Amino acid sequence: MEELKGAIAVMGYGLAAIGPGIGIGLVVASAISAMARQPEAAGMVRTTMFLGIAFTEALALIGFVLFFIA
Amino acid sequence: MEQLILASGACDPANDIICKPENVIELFQFEDNLFAIGPWGITRTVFLILLAMVIVVALLYFGLRKRSLNPSKFGVTIESLMGFVRDDIATGIIGPEGVKYYPWLLSLFLFVLVGNLFEVTPLINFPITSRMAIAGGLSLLTWVIFVFVGLKKNGFRYVGALVWPTTVPIALRPLVGLIEFVSTFFLRPLTLAVRLFANMVAGHLMLTLLLVSGWVFMSSVGEIGIRALIGIPWFVFGLGIYVFEIIVAVLQAYIITLLSAVYVESSIHIEH
Repeated sequence: MEELKGAIAVMGYGLAAIGPGIGIGLVVASAISAMARQPEAAGMVRTTMFLGIAFTEALALIGFVLFFIA
Repeated sequence: MEQLILASGACDPANDIICKPENVIELFQFEDNLFAIGPWGITRTVFLILLAMVIVVALLYFGLRKRSLNPSKFGVTIESLMGFVRDDIATGIIGPEGVKYYPWLLSLFLFVLVGNLFEVTPLINFPITSRMAIAGGLSLLTWVIFVFVGLKKNGFRYVGALVWPTTVPIALRPLVGLIEFVSTFFLRPLTLAVRLFANMVAGHLMLTLLLVSGWVFMSSVGEIGIRALIGIPWFVFGLGIYVFEIIVAVLQAYIITLLSAVYVESSIHIEH
């Protein structure tokens, strides 16, 4: 089992990264189209975009930490 | 330098593809004291924390020493940083009463920024925020502040509105309340700390492993011959990551400050 341990952790991190990857893509895509439609709101949209990215990214980062703990 | 020796010592360029110490945790631990003040031993990490503190205080002191109508370039830089935190983060997120939290947000932002930029500073090359004690301590401070502010501004209604949200159908209220309670009081500080910590750990690992591998392979060209070419892509990749890590360091300092402000805002205005 010791031989398998590292490989399983890597796979677990890969799985944990799928959802946040899609999520961050959606957040940024919406932010870009919002900024293109209303350039004057770009500052506000950018702040909100970073917030959204930060919340979405949390899951991937927890997976990343578990990868080291495992 | 300790880390370079550590990472390169455990490496055999004739057989390995990349230099990697047995246990990567070694890259983040400095066991030996640099010097000791009485009973307190100062390790490299503690020394860097104190250094970051001194740098932040010195930046603010020398930036704002002469308040004149046409400040120096350095003064303008410091003032625009402060203005950014005050206008975009403190009052921009929390509202007019956010000025009260501006000193805390500014010191959080500058300390984390300096701590993160240690990662890409030559001869230091160690982000102090990649130790969970520091990231966790900072997020625990945020937790204490936003819970205290919520209880002070809204009294017991702060917890009441979280566990019994009146805007959702009554059948769902226990479930939503439970999720909200756990996410506010447990997941918020955890993710705030883990976000900063994990980004810095990942950056430090990538930089150390790639640059050390590149250096070890290229410097042992006499012994391994053509295999030394493996070092070139590692080194180029490492330099690319280096630029990327500068952006990450600034962005993570911004995000932890922004999220702290958002958490305080949600404690003040509980109706949404």
